[in-house]
Amino acid sequence: MTAADALVDDLFRREAGRIAAWLARLLGAGRLDLIEDAVQDAFGAAVARWPLDGVPDRPAAWLTIAARNKALDRLKREARLEPFDESAAWRLGFSNPEEIGRLDDTLALMFVACHPALDPDEQTMLTLKTVCGFGVAEIARAYLTTAEAVTQRLVRAKRKIRDLGLRFEIPEGPELASRLPALVAAIYLLFNGGYTARTGAALTAPDLCAEALRLAELLTAHRVTATGEAQALAALICFHHARSAARAGETGELILLADQDRGRWDRTLIERGSAHLQASMTGEELTSLHLEAAIASVHAVAPCFEATDWAGLAHFYRLLEELKPTPIVRLNAAIACAQAEGPAPGLARLDVLAETRKLAGYALYHAARGDLLSRLGRPIEAAAAFTAALDCPANDAERDHLARKLAACR
Amino acid sequence: MALVPEPPVPRKLTMPNFILLLHGNSGGTPPDSPDEYMAMFKAYAGWADRMRAEGRYKGGEKLTDEPGKVMRPKAGRAAVTDGPYAESKELLGGFFVIAAKDYDEACTVAESGPHLGYGGTIEIRQIHEIHES
Repeated sequence: MTAADALVDDLFRREAGRIAAWLARLLGAGRLDLIEDAVQDAFGAAVARWPLDGVPDRPAAWLTIAARNKALDRLKREARLEPFDESAAWRLGFSNPEEIGRLDDTLALMFVACHPALDPDEQTMLTLKTVCGFGVAEIARAYLTTAEAVTQRLVRAKRKIRDLGLRFEIPEGPELASRLPALVAAIYLLFNGGYTARTGAALTAPDLCAEALRLAELLTAHRVTATGEAQALAALICFHHARSAARAGETGELILLADQDRGRWDRTLIERGSAHLQASMTGEELTSLHLEAAIASVHAVAPCFEATDWAGLAHFYRLLEELKPTPIVRLNAAIACAQAEGPAPGLARLDVLAETRKLAGYALYHAARGDLLSRLGRPIEAAAAFTAALDCPANDAERDHLARKLAACR
Repeated sequence: MALVPEPPVPRKLTMPNFILLLHGNSGGTPPDSPDEYMAMFKAYAGWADRMRAEGRYKGGEKLTDEPGKVMRPKAGRAAVTDGPYAESKELLGGFFVIAAKDYDEACTVAESGPHLGYGGTIEIRQIHEIHES
């Protein structure tokens, strides 16, 4: 095998997070800057050496040791300006690179990156950077912002972490209960960001979704963090992610649930989701994530759109509406009601929501009204609803879909 | 132990060797992410692999990241300066020795790699072989 083919493409990205977690255990969470630089140095060394010498037998171990040595170099260089951090150098010197890849370290790093003192965007950006190994420019693309803006937020987030003087550990007991929700929320946000890219051509950012799933399953793999809510989160992501291949057509156009080729749904992921959903029921709490996962599972197990258990769906949505009466949840509850009880009661529930400011600018609200109106044989009002939907922000795939609906009314 | 001396090996008709000195260039932007480092590795390794597959690759080494020194005679004592190129450690600073028909071919090989695209400079010199008659 040639050197160029010897490695999987995401080896560096995977190892970046594992090495960072290992070094953070040795050096502390306040040293994230030095750690990231040392990891980059190690990659630079690999790029310079490996094409000439060939890829080492254990590339991951090579990178780990290189990063440790680069961290030591940086500590020494730093000593020109400030007192030499002897204890850090000692810990590095006596470290065991074979200990890399411990789940505890990665989870501890996630708890640092998702500390509640950081705002939600800072949490997800820092997680993407340190745990998942994405670059600033890549994160900027996912957030539709500039690399400078991302850099600024990361700097601020890392400063907060330094000031907090966090211990590098998985919190337990009452502290776990207070800190796990931020972690769950950050993963949820990450997944949502990947699931619906707000504007632009790409409907999903599969990388973000895959990372969110990986992180959620890291939580469920550890006895301390495998709470009912974490299981529900993993289930929800599995169910949605299982449909990703069927959600977009060949040209990237949006394919609605009703029209998706269910043969393209990933059955293995759906089974994994069902196992997580089962596991989520063992706890005593019922969170909104449990209900969202249950709703996603109803869709995932339906053999075809018509055979969906609409009554069950409407039931879960009613429970969810009680726990989380957000406009979006109420919108979805109304749509489920329309399927279970018919377009007229569904439309009535949608019209009640007309005054909600958040939905007035939400394309899917108007699109749902348009659908029900055309099913009720009211094409002129339906056309008006689709026109209103097109006035709202939507990604290219969604706009195409709405334009087709509008044309069908005329 | 051989009692009879081995017959002289007839000198093969070989192509001349060239040295490709890869200098960095501070103009290039360093990779921003592990994935970009991976892309860079694949590009350089692919280049080295192609040279090996074509039987041109005669050796190579990485040079350290410092710019190195250049010495010039100057009124009785040598003047030492940094250089000749400002190395940027983000790029592979090193050299390859390759076989090529002539300078044109050596330039083509140099151009087929990723180094120039990453903002680096390549110095090419033919190695003068001393033939024993």
